[in-house]
Amino acid sequence: MKVPYVEDKPTAGGSKPPSEDDLSRMIRDTVESWKPQRGPDWSGVLIRLAHSGPPAWLLYTAASAALIVILVTAFLVGSALQIGALGPQPVPSNLH
Amino acid sequence: MLDSRELDPATEFRQLYDQQYVSVYRSIRGVVLDSAAAEDLTQETFVRAYRARHRYTPTAPPGAWLRRIGINLAISYLRRQKLARVLPARLYVAPDRREYDRAEARDVVTKALTTLSPKLRAAIILHYYDGLTREEIASVLGVPAGTVASRIAKAVAIMRRSIGSDQDFGPERSSNEGALRGR
Repeated sequence: MKVPYVEDKPTAGGSKPPSEDDLSRMIRDTVESWKPQRGPDWSGVLIRLAHSGPPAWLLYTAASAALIVILVTAFLVGSALQIGALGPQPVPSNLH
Repeated sequence: MLDSRELDPATEFRQLYDQQYVSVYRSIRGVVLDSAAAEDLTQETFVRAYRARHRYTPTAPPGAWLRRIGINLAISYLRRQKLARVLPARLYVAPDRREYDRAEARDVVTKALTTLSPKLRAAIILHYYDGLTREEIASVLGVPAGTVASRIAKAVAIMRRSIGSDQDFGPERSSNEGALRGR
């Protein structure tokens, strides 16, 4: 694994960067100081659920199924009514 | 940091919501660095998790499962909004930021976090705040454990330098921030 170079020596005139332990503690302290303004709001989740449409996978599955049904129905109807290319094709008269 | 009492999302989702809300919020905020967006994304995380609760498989704790949804939502949000590149500017020069945001800007850790890419921030928050192992983070982020180790090492190096230079120059913005962000 390639490990990036980390400069431990203080730069000229500067202070030493924090150790990894100090950094870990600073990150934890900072993140733990973050408090949500509104807090948990279960009714908000229920409202979103009520207003949201069906999940994407359900939508795509339903759309795909509908497309297959339309294509099969069109083929069957076209064959039965002999419409366009689904009708009987003329046989060339020069074939024996 | 993940709670030891593991609730079943399929039958105890409401309790799971109350138990995990704040920690999921903090993990998401660590990635987006915006309190309002983090609250909105936290709610959306639970909406998506609720819809998928019957598909949850107990290969990972419910907390890790929720974080996977939340962190992915947060990264997608930043990608959509193209906030990742302008975030430091928003934190420091926006004229109408509220008091709590100005307080955040003064915080050296928050400032150092803004120098990281969203993916590096996610790795750092999941490791140092949530206390996940590299393998668990790899599972949450969907990348190999070696990539996680590399991201953590890179983020630590950038943050140490950023915090070190902030201590040199006080509240002024680090002069090498832009250069570090590009690495």
